[in-house]
Amino acid sequence: MASVELKNLGKRYGHAVAVDDVSLTIGHGQLVCLLGPSGCGKTTTLRLLAGFVEPSAGEILVGGKVLSSPQRTVPPEGRNMSMIFQSYALWPHMTVAENVAYGLRIRKMDKATVDAKLKAILSTARLEALAERYPGELSGGQQQRVSLARALVVEPETLLLDEPLSNLDANLREEMRFEIRRLHDRYRYTTVYVTHDQSEAMTTADLIAVMNLGRIEQLGTPKEIYDAPHSAFVARFIGGSNILSGKALDAGHVAIGGGTLATTGRPLVAGETVTVSIRQHEIEISTAAPSAANMLHGVVGRQVFLGASRDYTVALDDGTELRVTASPMQDIAPGREVWLRLPAERCRALMGGNDT
Amino acid sequence: MTAKAPRLFDVSRPVLIAVAALLAILIALPMGWLIVTSFSTKDGQATLGNFVTLFTDPSFLDPLLATLLLSVSVSVICCAVAAPMGWLVARTDMPLSRTVRTLVMASLVTPPFVGAVAWEMLAAPNSGLLNQLWRLITGAPDDEALFDIYTFEGLIFAIACYTFPYVFILVANALDRMPGELEDASSMLGARTWATARRITVPLALPTLLAGALVAFLQTLNQFGSPAILAIPAGFHTLTTKIWSLFQFPPKPELASAAALPLLVLTVALLRAQSLVLGRRGYAVLGGKYGAPRLIRLGPWRWPAVGLALFVLSLPLFLPYAALLNTAFSKVSSQLITPQTFTLHNVVFTFGELSSTLPALQNTFVLATATATVGGLLALLIAYIVARRAVVGHRVLAFLATAPLAIPGIVLGVGLFLAYTRPPLTLYGTLWILLIAFVTIELPAAYQQLGSAFHSVHPELEEAGRMLGATRLRTLKDITAPLLRSAAIATWCFVFVGVIRELSAAVILFTSETKVLSVLIFDLKESGDVGAIAVLSLTMVILTTVVIVIANRIGGSVRLTSRVAG
Repeated sequence: MASVELKNLGKRYGHAVAVDDVSLTIGHGQLVCLLGPSGCGKTTTLRLLAGFVEPSAGEILVGGKVLSSPQRTVPPEGRNMSMIFQSYALWPHMTVAENVAYGLRIRKMDKATVDAKLKAILSTARLEALAERYPGELSGGQQQRVSLARALVVEPETLLLDEPLSNLDANLREEMRFEIRRLHDRYRYTTVYVTHDQSEAMTTADLIAVMNLGRIEQLGTPKEIYDAPHSAFVARFIGGSNILSGKALDAGHVAIGGGTLATTGRPLVAGETVTVSIRQHEIEISTAAPSAANMLHGVVGRQVFLGASRDYTVALDDGTELRVTASPMQDIAPGREVWLRLPAERCRALMGGNDT
Repeated sequence: MTAKAPRLFDVSRPVLIAVAALLAILIALPMGWLIVTSFSTKDGQATLGNFVTLFTDPSFLDPLLATLLLSVSVSVICCAVAAPMGWLVARTDMPLSRTVRTLVMASLVTPPFVGAVAWEMLAAPNSGLLNQLWRLITGAPDDEALFDIYTFEGLIFAIACYTFPYVFILVANALDRMPGELEDASSMLGARTWATARRITVPLALPTLLAGALVAFLQTLNQFGSPAILAIPAGFHTLTTKIWSLFQFPPKPELASAAALPLLVLTVALLRAQSLVLGRRGYAVLGGKYGAPRLIRLGPWRWPAVGLALFVLSLPLFLPYAALLNTAFSKVSSQLITPQTFTLHNVVFTFGELSSTLPALQNTFVLATATATVGGLLALLIAYIVARRAVVGHRVLAFLATAPLAIPGIVLGVGLFLAYTRPPLTLYGTLWILLIAFVTIELPAAYQQLGSAFHSVHPELEEAGRMLGATRLRTLKDITAPLLRSAAIATWCFVFVGVIRELSAAVILFTSETKVLSVLIFDLKESGDVGAIAVLSLTMVILTTVVIVIANRIGGSVRLTSRVAG
């Protein structure tokens, strides 16, 4: 096992830039999620790591050794990595046992070792009973576990996962998320996990790298990404946030939605256009007149009872709409005048304009 | 759904019965007479004598053995050539791979007997251009030859040239569809390129290759043109040429029928085997999204690989067409053309003086148009009934429509000859018998193409139309017909082409009044008029190519590969 380092990694196809100046250090035994919408460059980054794609710029180091650079790329088979494919890529002409033992046979281990390792991993992945089946005879979840077992049995230095759960149905996906984290905690491989599903990233990752347009937009722990998005893109992508646009009055105040908000985050320059994010459930809604700072005035447009919460859409005086998640007990009819309190420590001024 | 218009049901029932009866007559009548005749003496007495003769007389046993040996050899050679080429084209970064694919398709367009004629021009022991070139270079004496196409090996070669494209297309398509991630997964686990090829790629492609071998075997088994052109001068027969020779004066239809039966049985058995091999969908892709395959880098081998592919393609394409053009436009066919020997005489002679050219062209056009129209409509009707399960019993129609696939052209020819040389329908000597033959031969391919086109139009598209108030006929007109138009036109074109190329049934059924282009070319062999043969062969290829290009423009992805009958 070793740390993985991406240094100013870039990949372009003709004029199209797939990966743009990505730098990232993944510590020994860490699980990093590359999170982003389709086309953000996360899969290309993973394929660069795997050695299927050669970089146009920068380099990839594993344990201090350069594996990829524009001059020379070690082929996938020489990297001692394992990969779990979106499609699982199980070989239909081999049984479960043959699929799983393949990597061991390629490494020319003797039969006794192969059998022992096979037995151990099949039991860890709860596949003993299915050893002689063909992949076509397995359910989606079972195929997924075979693909995990096949990747783990060779004890790779680095484990790569490409949207491994996207072909499973919702229940199974939730279960497999914890399964992947459990196996990671047990084996502690340096792991890179690509997904577009933020809750998947939250459950499994030590660190999340949110990617957009070929770049890493923000790198942080799941909590940092959730609590303190740097940009409108990250705030939007993680979801559950209102993104407001206003004008800075001074270093810490913004005119927004017909009122004034004190903000946290970066210091502002008076007069600039500022994007501010605040989570839906961090806003307090009430029919009472203002009693504190950071209050905005609006009218309830719509409310939906969701069981555990109540979802409001509120139109501010300038027409901006805000979503507010409130207690299910708090029932305010549409058309009523309301006051929203947006706590200053929750109003984050984001980087850049409202460009995404 | 319960409120189906009862009147519609009343109409569709008789339609089903009529179509089924028509198909049954098309197939059962000739095959019935074939079987009856094979068990009869000349006078109509029941006997097993024909089969005793067939399996004891060396003049029958030898062709049978020769045919089997020929078919096995061709299959093996086709696989040995097509599999590496298919792999180069589909899985490596070999340059010009698209061009190679197109050229392979082009060699498929060449009727095999035209190829055989061209190879006579190239590799006949004395006059063959390649042999002359060899003598010129080495100074060998006039009676020595490098190649002799009039041999068993020569026949294997000439047939393999035009059979390997079938295997190539199957293999290349299978490799195209094979998910690249299956190979990527092996690389990630440490397998090098060749280990991955050996353990993953080859085992996955093996069933397809086996199916390809069966296709090549069937093609060779039932081919008439090339053996007739090359084997007879070489002094041996295959089953098809033997059957044909039994129709030469004095005709022995009983023996011909008996000889046709093993061919029929073998074909049916091999088609069963093929569907078993291809039917094992366990090898199909498992769910999920797959990426395009990664191309293997050939590095310094890139250009040798192209060289090899182009060399292989020179055998069915470049050399034969050079020979045909040389013969067509040269005063002396056995010499390489020079500006002094260039002539249009052959063209003028073929179209101006040769009295049988224009009637043959006319017959070919009439038959091709009629077959494409009648066969296409029949196939459309059957495809609709089957795809929409419009009537109970539609499965019978699907079976009947594909059954002719198992009847070799020459066997059908014999059967039709027996069925329509006697009352009540004495059609022998008319174009009708050829029309029946061609419709029967082309029906399976037409039905399969239109059937898959119907399947691609989801019934919900029609149901959506009907929910909005359109009647069944109205939805057919407004929704189904426009969606199927291109497939229908493409099918029409491919049937048209199939008829132009057809030789093996026509050669049994033609009379001097009903010669078609393919038969004319074959007939001219007797008189040895190679100039006219070259001109007519080129005419046929040009016609075929034009129609196929039109069909491809319109029909898009309609495959030529579904045609198995030779």
